Amino acid sequence: MEDKDVVLRVEDLHTYFHTTRGTVRALNGVSYTVPKGKVLGVVGESGCGKSVTSLAVMQLVPRPGRIEQGKIWFSTARRGSAGWVEITALERHSDEMHQIRGNEISMIFQEPMTSLNPVYTVGDQIAEAILLHQGVDKGEARQRVIDILTEVNMPNPERIVDNYPHELSGGMRQRAMIAMALSCTPTMLIADEPTTALDVTTEAQILDLMRELQGDIGMSIMFITHNLGVIAQMADEVVIMYLGRIVESAPIDDLFFDTKHPYTVALLGSIPHVGSRTKDRLASIRGMVPDPYSTVPGCPFHPRCDRYMRGICEKEMPGETMVAPKHMVRCYLYS
Amino acid sequence: MAEVTSDNILLEVKELKKHFPITGGLMRKVVGYVKAVDGVSFYIKEGETLGLVGESGCGKTTCGRTVLRLLEPTAGEVVFDDPDLGKVHIENLDQRQMKVVRPKMQIIFQDPFSSLDPRMTLERIVSEPLVINNMLHGQALRNRVAELLELVGMRAEYMTRYPHAFSGGQRQRIGIARALALNPKLIICDEPVSALDVSIQAQVLNLLEDLQAKFGLTYLFIAHDLSVVEHISDRVAVMYVGFLVEMAETNELYYYPKHPYTEALMAAIPKPNPRMRTQPIKLPGEVASPANPPSGCYFHPRCRYAQAVCSQTRPILRDVGNEHWVACHLAEELHLAGLEEQQVL
Repeated sequence: MEDKDVVLRVEDLHTYFHTTRGTVRALNGVSYTVPKGKVLGVVGESGCGKSVTSLAVMQLVPRPGRIEQGKIWFSTARRGSAGWVEITALERHSDEMHQIRGNEISMIFQEPMTSLNPVYTVGDQIAEAILLHQGVDKGEARQRVIDILTEVNMPNPERIVDNYPHELSGGMRQRAMIAMALSCTPTMLIADEPTTALDVTTEAQILDLMRELQGDIGMSIMFITHNLGVIAQMADEVVIMYLGRIVESAPIDDLFFDTKHPYTVALLGSIPHVGSRTKDRLASIRGMVPDPYSTVPGCPFHPRCDRYMRGICEKEMPGETMVAPKHMVRCYLYS
Repeated sequence: MAEVTSDNILLEVKELKKHFPITGGLMRKVVGYVKAVDGVSFYIKEGETLGLVGESGCGKTTCGRTVLRLLEPTAGEVVFDDPDLGKVHIENLDQRQMKVVRPKMQIIFQDPFSSLDPRMTLERIVSEPLVINNMLHGQALRNRVAELLELVGMRAEYMTRYPHAFSGGQRQRIGIARALALNPKLIICDEPVSALDVSIQAQVLNLLEDLQAKFGLTYLFIAHDLSVVEHISDRVAVMYVGFLVEMAETNELYYYPKHPYTEALMAAIPKPNPRMRTQPIKLPGEVASPANPPSGCYFHPRCRYAQAVCSQTRPILRDVGNEHWVACHLAEELHLAGLEEQQVL
């Protein structure tokens, strides 16, 4: 492990869920890196495995899910032991994992309503991580909570500290979640659809805030979303996922202006482009995402692909082709 | 987007109000009202799509349901141009008269998972409106259900299955088939695509457009996604805390907004183009509560252009020319920024 510009490296990750109805292959050999101090966008539709990817990094894949194969390396900068840690080699409940989870890598979830505990005050919940990881006393922790709430532009932080989640609006709850995630100044932040439940004006403010904080702290962010508008605004690099595989990865500009994979092309064509003044029909993708219990031979997208080549695409998963430096695509059109 | 063929107004809503009482204390006395819809006026022309946008809790859904009298209006008028009965005041009709008008006004719900009864087969779901209104029986009924399912892109053989066997997009198609069963004139689409993935969302939007062209349907399209609304609507109305603040032809509203709230909405849209940065306008404070709205214009505490008059008098929705309706005292003086035109990717 040498690459200095990378904070997280995932290699050939397979995560399966063994259920009574069969095996769901949520991740089928996923490899990617999160660049240091930048934002990696992870895009895909529901069921493509984008959330499982992030849970695997935190060692939080729920049962009966298991990491079957592959490695996750994280570049830690703490406690003198700077260097690469193999997360997949750590026990879920080990001390090392506790040190990383919530401290060096933290996470923001989609639903600000359900991810805060309704019976504790906002201040207590944010202070929990600080008390656990930073070794400070209660008074100091409270002061740090107020500082962080101020940093995320929470109105009246001195009052909000003692409020319960139900007293806050959706946007304020998401600010509280961000404050909680930032409380230990993590090296990397995983944001799983952080603005999906929010209104457009609140969403814009939260995204603005995240970008600002990212610049200030120099934190790396893994930003998971299905919204291509949000990705265009937030990400530096993007991976596109389909059925547990990465089909294309590229710097943000290449992804939008030099799109390669037919799935990415179709995704971009299926969103209404606000401000284009065109009223053309949307390019929809025919069919739908296959049943998670089934396995599609060859390229997982071939049954829905407009450029499907009989006798090739259904045989084997196409390998990774580099069409430009940092621009990878898995499609026979380019190999 | 279909060509609007006539200037015939199909639905006119005047000063519509829906207030929900808040009860409190030992005697459950009414201590106040949540003014979910508070004096909304708009019209929809035959064959067009009117988009109704606004943030969560602004009263869009309540407005749609009150128009159909799924909720009883507190005050106001809803005039529907029924093809058989002529102009009828929906708010005055009794149960029996309502039953005559209802088939012409249908609704598609937001959540395709809770709007279909899990214990009914597709056949029963889609045929129910026809059975209730005593329209068809036996084989004719089954044929009509098959026809409706095929119309929305589903196979007729699926008729015997239950909703759990279908994905979100397919369920939404079933909901559309049910809404079409009685050949309605007006369909209220209440966030029909917001629960769907982008690729499926495009399929359903295309289907709605095709059906509109085929049957000359009129849509009231309620949504919070401004890109979707821009795509599908001929005209757009913007709602804020139970009140319409602006209504105009789609491009006019998006590129030349005249209400400061619309301006803020347009600036907040995340543009799907990495070379154009979204520059949101910071709105101070939170959305006003419909139970305790501020004085004057409801938006004035968050408005960066607010003047003394804004906190005193509530502006009315007025036509400032070219069917551009605005509820702002300063509409003529302000020069607001709309969406910037951008290249198509």
